[in-house]
Amino acid sequence: MTNRIPLTLKINGEEKTFLAAPEINLLRLLRDNYYWDVKCGCEEGECGTCTVLLDGVAVKSCLTLAHNCAGHEIWTNKGLGYNDEITAKLQAAFVECGSIQCGFCTPGMIVAAKHYLQQGGKADRQAIRKAISGNLCRCTGYKKIIDAIYKVAAELEGGGR
Amino acid sequence: MTVIGTNTARIDGPAKVSGKQLYSSDIILPNMMYAVTLRSPYPHAEILSIDTSAAEAMGAVCLTYEDICVYEKGSASVVTGPCSRQNEQAVPAMYNERSVSVPNATYRDRTILPRKARHMYEPIAAVAADTEELAYKAMKALKVEYKVLDAVYDPLEAMKDGAPQLYDKIYLGDKEVEIKNNIGVIRKIDEGNCDEGFARADRIFEDDFELPRIYHAQLEPKGCTAAPDAEGGITVWATAQSIHGNRQLLGRALNMPLSKINVKKITIGGAFGSSIQVNTVTPICAALALKAKRPVKLLSSREDDFYSHQKYPAKFHVKLGVSNDGILTAAHVTALIDFGAHQIQPLAFMGCTAGWFASLYKYSGNIRFDGTAVYTNKTPCCAMQGYGNPQINFAIESMVDIICEDMGFDAIDFRLKNYRGVGQEFWGQGPTIRSIIKSCGVEESLIKGREIMDWDKRGKWQDKSGDIRHGLGLARGFHTSGTAGPKEGEVIDYSSAFIKINEDGSVDVVTPVVDHGGGTWDAIAKITSEVLQVPLNMVGLSPADTKNTGYDVCTHATRGVYCGGAAVYHVATVVKEKLLAMAGRMMDEHPYQLELIRDDELGQGVIYAKGYHQKKMTVGEVAKLAQINSWGTIQYADSYRQKNCPPCFTTHFVEVDVNIRTGEITSPRVLIYGDCGTAVNPDLLYGQLIGSFNRGLGYTLYEDLPFDEQSGELKNKGMLVDYKMPTSWEMPMVKNVIVRHADTFEPSGPFGAKGIGEAALASVQAAVTNAIYNAVGIRFHKLPVTPEKMLKALKDGVKEVY
Repeated sequence: MTNRIPLTLKINGEEKTFLAAPEINLLRLLRDNYYWDVKCGCEEGECGTCTVLLDGVAVKSCLTLAHNCAGHEIWTNKGLGYNDEITAKLQAAFVECGSIQCGFCTPGMIVAAKHYLQQGGKADRQAIRKAISGNLCRCTGYKKIIDAIYKVAAELEGGGR
Repeated sequence: MTVIGTNTARIDGPAKVSGKQLYSSDIILPNMMYAVTLRSPYPHAEILSIDTSAAEAMGAVCLTYEDICVYEKGSASVVTGPCSRQNEQAVPAMYNERSVSVPNATYRDRTILPRKARHMYEPIAAVAADTEELAYKAMKALKVEYKVLDAVYDPLEAMKDGAPQLYDKIYLGDKEVEIKNNIGVIRKIDEGNCDEGFARADRIFEDDFELPRIYHAQLEPKGCTAAPDAEGGITVWATAQSIHGNRQLLGRALNMPLSKINVKKITIGGAFGSSIQVNTVTPICAALALKAKRPVKLLSSREDDFYSHQKYPAKFHVKLGVSNDGILTAAHVTALIDFGAHQIQPLAFMGCTAGWFASLYKYSGNIRFDGTAVYTNKTPCCAMQGYGNPQINFAIESMVDIICEDMGFDAIDFRLKNYRGVGQEFWGQGPTIRSIIKSCGVEESLIKGREIMDWDKRGKWQDKSGDIRHGLGLARGFHTSGTAGPKEGEVIDYSSAFIKINEDGSVDVVTPVVDHGGGTWDAIAKITSEVLQVPLNMVGLSPADTKNTGYDVCTHATRGVYCGGAAVYHVATVVKEKLLAMAGRMMDEHPYQLELIRDDELGQGVIYAKGYHQKKMTVGEVAKLAQINSWGTIQYADSYRQKNCPPCFTTHFVEVDVNIRTGEITSPRVLIYGDCGTAVNPDLLYGQLIGSFNRGLGYTLYEDLPFDEQSGELKNKGMLVDYKMPTSWEMPMVKNVIVRHADTFEPSGPFGAKGIGEAALASVQAAVTNAIYNAVGIRFHKLPVTPEKMLKALKDGVKEVY
């Protein structure tokens, strides 16, 4: 067995310490510790189902070494949903706009969308298309996902931030 | 306002967006072990021995061919026990992973683990340990002795004398079948008089078409968790489109009474047909758990998943006879199917393909189909959204375009003259399952589509110029809704449901039907809500498993709403009768004098005396009083079989821009016209139609799965990174995806509904390539149409690309 090394990081607002193998990726660390909303679709950085925020930036957790996150802050879709207004709006918009089918890509997709909006992303369908092009969805054809993100972006623009 | 036909937020939406929805990979049990599979590094090799001692010394539990045998006496297995090469009576149960066809139309050629690997990375052993890391290390410590055999990849080569043989014998039902020249299945269908039809034709068109293997790429790789219980049984959480199919197959493979097996219904992360069959990892996981006497979880990696299921490729030769007045007089299709190393029912696949072909046009009743399906040392192929329909549709709808271009017919008028519509026969699942079409949106879609897309202004390719050539093409298609006909055929089709009214007027529904994500559960809840007049948010879908539900064949063949929903409709209707009978007793009224009306403010239904609404009881009051009086629970359970297989139609009008400098093809605008009868939830219908268009673009323009014929590996090595499918960037701009649904009502469906899922893909491919022809005058007979192929054709001045 590989030696496990202590690792302290902040997940969804809580400071956590784990014993983790040095080579483990952030995805495995999260899933091993019951953050199941972070999905594993390929573990090769292609599908985007494991997208989380690392210090506010959307990253694919399968390509992120867990120990590199020591002292940093991770947010997953589930945690964001309880704590972040933009994410809560996105989650509601995804339901309202029918943006979900099987739901496996959804948590990662919402995190990617949250990152886009947090960066000041506008209600611009072209820009939204580009922002989520790193997240695969095999069910929906993306249109309704883009509709949902557009809706929240327009709301934020209308109401100021 | 009715619940059916209005947009409502899907019932599982909140769980899915918030990350609370659990999938098979999220099941964790106390004392659970993690498993990995050892996969053959050769595409074709006998496994002489597997030494598990080093792995076992590490604390791992190993499963090999030796562990999976049952002693057979006659046809019935009697004892479970380890296999022994010395004991010829001990043989593993042989099965076909797909069990929706009747047994005597099902070829069986595989076991839980094989004695011979027949494709690259076929699982040949499995190892479970306390952690996944340890399991992986133990798997690496297995010592396998192989006898490497020559492999064959090309179906034409495979049929030659002297080619490597994958099998000597397999079974069709209980009958032993000898396999010669790797020919797995031959299927011939001949109706009417083709010779006479062709003789009568003024023109005969013949051409070839080819479609590649592609991959389902459902975002959730297949997984399973299995837990033995104290009574000697086993509980299984598997990625599955049919929980009962899993139960039956596990009973057979593990030689266990079906009452000892419980398969849980769970949410799945997409499937597109790849879990109609029991997934290969599921029986391995269950057998390993039984051997380990502990819960075991076995998840496929994405690479494992690529090597587990792919879409059937197809080669067609099509011959159509046409009269000068634009009537098809006869049709003959020859099909060659390279289905890989195991049969996941190419017999049914070819029957269905013949049926889609036969049902697309009338052909004056003269139809011939000659299909051959061949074993090769490649990943086994299975259903993927359409089961032969997108394949044959591409061939026929391309041919129709060729005929119209050549003979000067208008492509819409020609289709309107020849299509099969109301009153005509439709083959819902091959030649043995047919019913008469009762609802049809073909006319509406073609006539309205002509206007919406300015069809008459599309111009000819000869008149187009510039770097970007714009084209408009169309194709029409359909799929069945379920696999039931007035007469039983090769395929099993019925569903079951249980519904009860709670003492507060809310309703619980227990259904074995699985939802792939298209919204089948949402439709089931809405049907219940409408029949029982209970607010949608007061309908609960109970957790379900194979122990507490009657049989449902599978969520396949676009049957979820039409067949699964019909069972719910049937049971709900009986529950409503019981409710009104009970209320009649309480209210001193004949049940016929009562009416049930939903009251959203009260959160339940109210039963009124007709014409005197002051006399009323809420459904909750009736149910509660019935319970207090000890009259019983208002509930009912039953199985139900549909007796029709109505086609759901689609038409695609697709615009393309072909960049003649780069060869890139994009789609700036599309009209998707669907006909699903009543749209139970129009929003979800549109989602299905748009998602399918996206997959169709991938199938037409990008996706392919070539094998390296030296190593037997996929050229992309099973990596998603090297499997290009459309992202959000490749979809047409959002405002330019136009979706319509035809105003039809299917009399045999619940509230007039039929299916849509698979129909939504059928005609995308030909519509795109017909548009490409309209843009640049090049006919692509083989998919995908990549920029490289486009550029080469433009450079070489070739007009037909095979």
